[in-house]
Amino acid sequence: MSLRDNAIVAYAETKVMEKSDRNVWVLSGEILEELLDKTGIDKNEIDGLVMAGLTGTGAANPFWAQTTADVLGLEVGFCEQVHTGGCSAAGCVARAAAAIDYGMCEVAFLLFADTHVLEDRTDHSHSYRREWTDPYGLMGPPGAFGLLSRAYESKYGLDYRMLGKLAVTQRKHALLNENACEKLRVPITIDDYMKSRMIADPIRLLDCVMRADGAAGLLMMSRKRAKEKGLSKCIIPIGYAERTNFKGGENLVDVTKSGHEVCGKKALGAAGLGIKDIASFHPYDDFIIAIMLQFEAFGFCKPGEGVQFIRDHDFSHDGDLPLNTGGGQISAGQAACSSHNLVEAVRQLQGEAGKRQVKDTKNALVTGIGWINYGRNWGSSAALVLVPE
Amino acid sequence: MANTSNNKPLNDTLGVKRTINHFDFSEPYWEGTRQKKLIIQYCKATKKFQHFPRPVSIFSGRRRDIEWREVSGKGVVHSYTITYRGTPAFRNAEPYAVVSVTLDVGVNFIANIINCTAEELKVGMKVKPYWHPLDDGTHLLMFQPDRNMA
Repeated sequence: MSLRDNAIVAYAETKVMEKSDRNVWVLSGEILEELLDKTGIDKNEIDGLVMAGLTGTGAANPFWAQTTADVLGLEVGFCEQVHTGGCSAAGCVARAAAAIDYGMCEVAFLLFADTHVLEDRTDHSHSYRREWTDPYGLMGPPGAFGLLSRAYESKYGLDYRMLGKLAVTQRKHALLNENACEKLRVPITIDDYMKSRMIADPIRLLDCVMRADGAAGLLMMSRKRAKEKGLSKCIIPIGYAERTNFKGGENLVDVTKSGHEVCGKKALGAAGLGIKDIASFHPYDDFIIAIMLQFEAFGFCKPGEGVQFIRDHDFSHDGDLPLNTGGGQISAGQAACSSHNLVEAVRQLQGEAGKRQVKDTKNALVTGIGWINYGRNWGSSAALVLVPE
Repeated sequence: MANTSNNKPLNDTLGVKRTINHFDFSEPYWEGTRQKKLIIQYCKATKKFQHFPRPVSIFSGRRRDIEWREVSGKGVVHSYTITYRGTPAFRNAEPYAVVSVTLDVGVNFIANIINCTAEELKVGMKVKPYWHPLDDGTHLLMFQPDRNMA
């Protein structure tokens, strides 16, 4: 058994909300119900619960996954919470597959539910922040990406209008996505991007992700079992890798380089694909520049050539490299434990993306970025290659 | 808007009230600041400095390889960001600069910069320490332009 012997058989997703009007477990119940209805699986067949640990609502409860299993009436042989920040959603797919391979469960419910606007219990006090960045007013992720952007700019130069092009493309996709947060479903131009107010110069408002509430989920099982069940729209993970604390044993690092260099090679290698084979790209987007850095790290272009790569390509759903076709997190809202781009990739490969459906569904590359470390870029990187059965 | 090209000094953050909760393994650093000394961790096994303080050497993984050494605090600006929307304690101090400085011993240190205009602030600019007194007798390391370049 290996990663590719497993299948994602269905996805479910709520609309992204500025602030949830329902409890996080009500949203979780909606996701469970939709997955059961879509697949005809009996609730008692679910014997694995894999939850993204990137939750504000559940952050203070050390028993979050167990409590959730109890609330939903699930008896499971594998109860897991994945703690790789914004890599958690993709990480859940890999861990569910591993657990199925190992025989710890047969049908895994992957749950990405969070209402961190309504109820945020996140606590960063036991981290470097309290001594080494809070005393200087470094404003969390925007501040860190401000430092990262300026370092990139001084090394290579940076045409911010090209970052604006990415923001505009993603926003157009959100306009085609009824599940995107309504507040963000307003067209923007590159000039709007350039004129949006500075948050942590050179990071502008329209560079930033907006926290929002919502839930999503996936159902996974072995390909064999999916076939037996007659589930036809299977999506297969054929390559996965993650890297936490890239170059963590070094004191001075080039912040324009990330763990994506390592996990991109490994995941694509396992998939037997080159980067030019990728049909649609669903990179983690907490800030627009993170997308450009990933173009470079995954080898779409060379280091320092990200701006030119953006200039040369059309990232629309009907362009030559479709990018975050649901709007990305930046234009759909940072909800559902940052699973948005993963769920969108599954939807695209199942051919269910409606007006924003990509033509080429032979594969999709999904990535993660998680946590902000001191003076670097980010703590975790992940890459997941998906193909339809 | 982003008014980063003028001759006025950037806002300093000296008026911000700070209470810093130390990790026990960082105490030698904070003790050093009482005498305005910058004392950071050095790994004897690999002959490299590290910052921020850790309970072990990030190079060798061992506690016993760590010693504390005084360094000059001089360095160059590696990067900077101008904060227009600060953390709650820093409201009304905006816009202020946060810099990442590469110290001459090869570690990056994130801090504020003072006595510096927006026009002056550039990647590669030479800086030296500025010690801001805190209520508990320790000092907070900030940086200022090092204009006495030989």
